[in-house]
This record gives sequence, structure tokens and C-alpha cells, in this order.
Amino acid sequence: MELNKFQQELFEKQRPVIEKFGKKTWGWTIFFLLWILVGWYALYLQIAKGHSVTGMRDNVVWGLYIANFIFFIGISYAGAVISGILHILKVEWRKPIIRIAEIITVISTIIGPIYILLCVGRLDRLHHLFLYPRLQSPITWDVFAIATYFTGSVIFLYLALIKDFAIYRDAKLNIPKWKQKAYKILALGYRGTHGQKRHIKISTNLMAIVIVPLAIIVHSVLSWIFGMTLRPGWHSTIFGPYFVLAAIYSGTGVLIIAMWVYRKMYKLDSLLTDKHFIYLGYIMMALGAGYGYFTFSEYLTDWFSSEKWNSEVIEKLFNPAKYGWWFLFANVAGITLPIFIVAFPKTRKPNWIALASFFMVIALWVKRYLIIVPTLESPLLPMQDTRIEYVKYSATWVEWALTFAGIATFFLFFTLLSKFITIIPISEFGETEKAKIPAVEMDHKNEIVPA
Amino acid sequence: MKQVFKINKCRKVAKQLIIAGTFIFNFLPGISSAQADSTKKEAPAVAEESTLISPSLNFLTVQKGDNSIDLKAALTAKLKGTVIKLRTLKITFLQVADDAEKELGFVITDGFGKAVFNLKADSVKPDKEGKLNFKAVFAGNKQMDAADGEVSIKRARLEITPVKTDSLLSVNVKLIDIGTGKEIPVPETVLGIFVHRSFKPQKVAEGTTDENGEATVEVPNNLPGDAKGNITLMAKLDENEMYGNLETAVVQKWGIPVSDKLNELPRALWSAHPPYWMMITFIVLMGTVWGHYLVILIQLFRLRKEEPAPDSPLVEHLST
Repeated sequence: MELNKFQQELFEKQRPVIEKFGKKTWGWTIFFLLWILVGWYALYLQIAKGHSVTGMRDNVVWGLYIANFIFFIGISYAGAVISGILHILKVEWRKPIIRIAEIITVISTIIGPIYILLCVGRLDRLHHLFLYPRLQSPITWDVFAIATYFTGSVIFLYLALIKDFAIYRDAKLNIPKWKQKAYKILALGYRGTHGQKRHIKISTNLMAIVIVPLAIIVHSVLSWIFGMTLRPGWHSTIFGPYFVLAAIYSGTGVLIIAMWVYRKMYKLDSLLTDKHFIYLGYIMMALGAGYGYFTFSEYLTDWFSSEKWNSEVIEKLFNPAKYGWWFLFANVAGITLPIFIVAFPKTRKPNWIALASFFMVIALWVKRYLIIVPTLESPLLPMQDTRIEYVKYSATWVEWALTFAGIATFFLFFTLLSKFITIIPISEFGETEKAKIPAVEMDHKNEIVPA
Repeated sequence: MKQVFKINKCRKVAKQLIIAGTFIFNFLPGISSAQADSTKKEAPAVAEESTLISPSLNFLTVQKGDNSIDLKAALTAKLKGTVIKLRTLKITFLQVADDAEKELGFVITDGFGKAVFNLKADSVKPDKEGKLNFKAVFAGNKQMDAADGEVSIKRARLEITPVKTDSLLSVNVKLIDIGTGKEIPVPETVLGIFVHRSFKPQKVAEGTTDENGEATVEVPNNLPGDAKGNITLMAKLDENEMYGNLETAVVQKWGIPVSDKLNELPRALWSAHPPYWMMITFIVLMGTVWGHYLVILIQLFRLRKEEPAPDSPLVEHLST
């Protein structure tokens, strides 16, 4: 097996990225490391002084950490579903974007569960979850589901990388020896024989089939941590599909943002084309509509039934003096904006779609916060003679520092990985790929016409 | 000097806390169930300034079927309009015969302010009129006035005999006056038939004694019993002017067996072990996914062992 001309061009284009660790990259790396360092200091304070340095108290026992956990696990859907489904459906235009999607999945599945650890008071007893699991608890399901999902995501990414590792190994790159050795080990002696191709094909197909239902189960289980309780605003039968849809939606948003950043940073316009943004925009619009439908259905039911505790939470979400403005932002930026941006041809462009994705991702983070905090601020037992900070949650700088440290870790891992592997996969493109990759042509109405 | 002052201050605070604690312990019910005689305790300083509490002592007797008598006293006090049951206070029981008082013993009131003294009926002798006179006395303390109560009863015996005729269940009850040493039937007296229940006896029937002091009362045949179907049937004479309270009981297997134990669900959501369906679902799901991973790992292992094509680097023609 030899690389075709297109593959060679593709590799040459990305070669400098994995060979050089430029000044810009160093700058970003140091910037992210500094953020992470602040996070470590915050973590030290939290361990030394206990959870009293956070805003979490007796009543509001979850806050930013759990919102971050759901958010990161949500965006991990980018790889699982976008990559998995498009692979099963053999959609050709997926090829340049699947690597980014799979990297997002792996990194966010690493970072997400860390926030659970930050929330746990007795980390020294963490191993009890595995030694003495209580199978009836949704938290136990979550631990096993996320561990399984993470393993699957790593395998899925690795399977797609084996051929590329073989290419890096043989390319005589101007890179340190440890890197060459790593490529050699990770390539598993791949030489492109018929048997090796077959093994990878079987494995990739198996993983693509497994990863999609697995991802759905993982986020359903995550939603059941809330849904299985009898708390107002949580105990809902649609929480499973609602969480799954929101997760795919936010994952698509992060994928679009990552594509836009890489396209700008490495001038990959010919690979990450307008077509990819528009197609992903359509997916985002459809998901946004579905997410909007679930949101409307969920809150309409709660409001209409006028059940005492649900009404209390609804009141908090609609009252501008409480969470009203945030709730409005979550729905406008999270539902209406992406749909309108993609619906109109004039705004159906990479920059606009990326901007809508950016706001949508923030809106969905806010939504996760609004799922957690107002409910916990509405306990079923009345709170009397309690200090206001025990009733009302207010995140402290420690929690914010660790939140931004998580985001910085996400970017840092992404930066470091993009220096180790090519963001656009080389081996995915076969002999006939070149004809399929160029940007689609647009007519004057900005609608796709056959090239 | 400063240190001495501090120690004195600490002692003062500790003393105040002890006084306040003693006060709460004595006057508020339900704080502790410890049984101790508080009659001899030092009176709280705060109580000295206020007027003494006047407790009320309610005293009654119950002549039982096992030839014993329960002397029951309840000590309460009304404070700011609320009736408070006085706990951990000493009640002394006495027999009064021909102006002489004989101490029978004492009991400390329980958490409900009650004291029950069980007395063998043979151990006391009636007076000339054939009556037994009892007295319950609370001696008082620095916070409370003394209180007492007296009861005068005539000895009587209440008998209960279960009778089963075909499917008809009934009890024969007999009330006999034994105060004078002779057995005299007590006629025209209403007796209640009760069954023992968790909180207090439940009345199921009543009958009036005839000239022989006897009454036959039908008992329902659908009463829930214990796990073996046993029910405790009780005959009671309540607050009689002459005899006071009398009660006697008999256990019969006339009830419908009802177990008071919860059905054990060893594999419920709340049990120590999960339901089987949950375990099976979990194992099948995890097994399926991890099984796939295993297949993939085997594929990768086989890929590594695959005989490579000789000297065929993938990209040997790429520039360095």
C-alpha cells in the first residue's frame, strides 16, 4: 500500500504542525498551564480546608462541579455520535472532521469525571465504589458506564489512528527520538497488508456499532442520577432522551467551534470546507429544534400541573429577580439563535455558524447549572432559621478557578494532541478521495449545488 | 490574677449550665429516659425565687386475675396552661389500716410520669370492713409541693372461661366478692370484654352479670390474632365504686393468624442485594460491551502478529 497523491499532499500540509512546537504553541501552552496552576492552588485549598471553601452547603450540595461534569460528558458526544453514526452510514464528508470529534470525546471524557472527584468529600474512600458497589444506585451505574464509555472512546480513536501512526513512523519526520519510538509502538507493525486492513475494518465497524448505543446509555444513566430522585424539576420521565439530545447538540457545537479554530489557525479551508460547516449546521439546527421541543414539553408539563414544589422551581426560573434572565439566555442562545442562523442562507456561513455554536455551548452550560441549582435551592423540607448562604448557592472563586482549570486542561490536551497526531486523518482518504473533498460550490443564494 | 478570674468565670458558667440542665431535665418530658430519684436533688436556684409547683397525683388500683394488685400513680403538673408529666420522681405506696400507715415500697416515675407498684394480694390484710386502703405519696421537693392520693377497694375476683359451641365463640365471665373471706357473687354489674391490641385493649362486647355473678358474652370469630392465631381475651370491670378496677385475661387460638413481621424482600431496590433482573441487565450490558472490546483487542493482537510485507514502508518516498 502506498499513499496516493492527495494523501501525500495532505500529509505535507500538516507535517510542520507535528514537527514543530512553535512560539505560538508555547505561548498558549504556558497560558493554559498558568490557569491550571491556579486551579491546583484552589484544589490545594479545598483539600486543606475542606469543602467550606466552596459555595456548596447542606442544602445545595451540588454546584458548578456537577454542571461542568454534565457539560463535559455532554460534549464527549461529538466523537461518539457524529463519528460513529457517520461511519456506519458511510458518509464521505465525515472524513476530515472525525479526528477532531474523536479527540473532543476522549479529552472531555477524561476531564468530566474529575469534577465528580472534586465534589466528593471523602476521596480516600473512592475505591469503595468498585469494592462495594451498590447496584441499585444510579451513581454506581454512572461510574461503570463512564469507565466503559471512556475505554470505548479511546479504542475508537486509536483504531482510526493506527494507519496514521504507521505513516508518521515511516515518514522520516524531523522529530525527537521518543516521538519516533512512540509512533513505532503505537503503529503495531502496520504495513498495510490485506489481513491488517481487515482486522482494522472489523474492529472499527464493531466500535462504531457499540459506541453509539453506549453513548446513549451513558448520558441516560447520567440523567437518571437526577431523574430517579423525587426532587422538583428532576423527577421526569423524559430526562433520559432530553439529556441525550442536549449532549449531542452541545457536542456538535463544540465540534463546529474546534473546526473553525483549526481552519483559521492552520489555514485548512480546503479540507474543513464550508460544506462541513453547513452540514453540521443542519445537524445542529435539527438537534436544536428537538432540544427546544423537549425543553418546552418539560417545563409546560411542570407549569401546567402546578404541583407545589415544581411550581416553586418554575417560579425561580421565570422570575427575572432570580434565574429569569439566565433561563431566557439559555433558551434564546441555546435554541432560537442556532436555528435562525442556519435557517437563513445569508447567515448560513462558517463564521456565523461557529458564532451561534459558541453561544449555544455557553447556553447549554448555563442550562446544566439551571437544572442543578434552583432545584437544590427548593428542598422538600422547609428551611427555617437557616443562614442565607445555606439556602442560596453562590459559587466561590475556588470553584470558578477549578472550572477554568478544566477548560484550560481541555485546550491544553487538544493543543498537545494536535502536535502528536494530524488533526485531519491521512489514511482515511483513499484513491478516489480527492474528487470528493474540494469545497462545494455555492450559487448566488448560498445554496449547495453539485460541483 | 487574670487566670484565677478566668477559672472562676468558667466555674460560674459551668454551674449555671448544670442548674439550667437540671431544670430542663426535671421539667421537660422526653429528654431522657433515665430512671433516677430526683427528690433529694439540689433545687435549682431559679426555682427558689418563684412559687412552688403544685403537682397532681392521680391514683388507682387494678385487681388482676393472677391474684395481684397493681397500684398505679400518675404525677402531673400544670405549668403555664400546659399539663406536664413529671418524670423521675419518687412515689411511695402505703397501706392504711386502722389509722396506721404501712409502707409497701416506692417507684420512680417513668417518662410519662407514671409509677406502677405490683402487690401480691395475699401480702396485705383488709381492715375491719373488709376493705383495702392504699395511699400514694409524693413527698415534694424544693421546687414542688407534696401530693398524695388515696384509694379504698374491696377485694373481688374476676374469672373468664372461653366456651366454644360449634362455630359460636363466647366467654363466661364471673365476678365474685372475696373481701369478707367468703365468695359472694356480684350481680347486675356491667363487664367489658376486650382483646389485647398493640396500643390499648379493644372492646369487642359487654355483658351484665346475673344473680350468680355470671355473664355469657359472644365473641366475634373474625378477630385478627398473632402469627399463630392467638388472641388475648380480657374481661374488665372499670372504675367500680366498690371494687375499683378489675381485669383478667385468657389466651385462646380463636384469631385469624396475622404475622406482624414484614415480608422479607431479599432482592428489592432497598435491600442489601439488587433484584435479579437488575443484575442480569447489568451483567448482560457490561458483558456485551466489554466482550466487543475483547474481540477488538484480539483483532489488534492478530494485526500485530500479521506477517508484514517485506520492506514496504508506507511512505518511503516522502521527503524528509
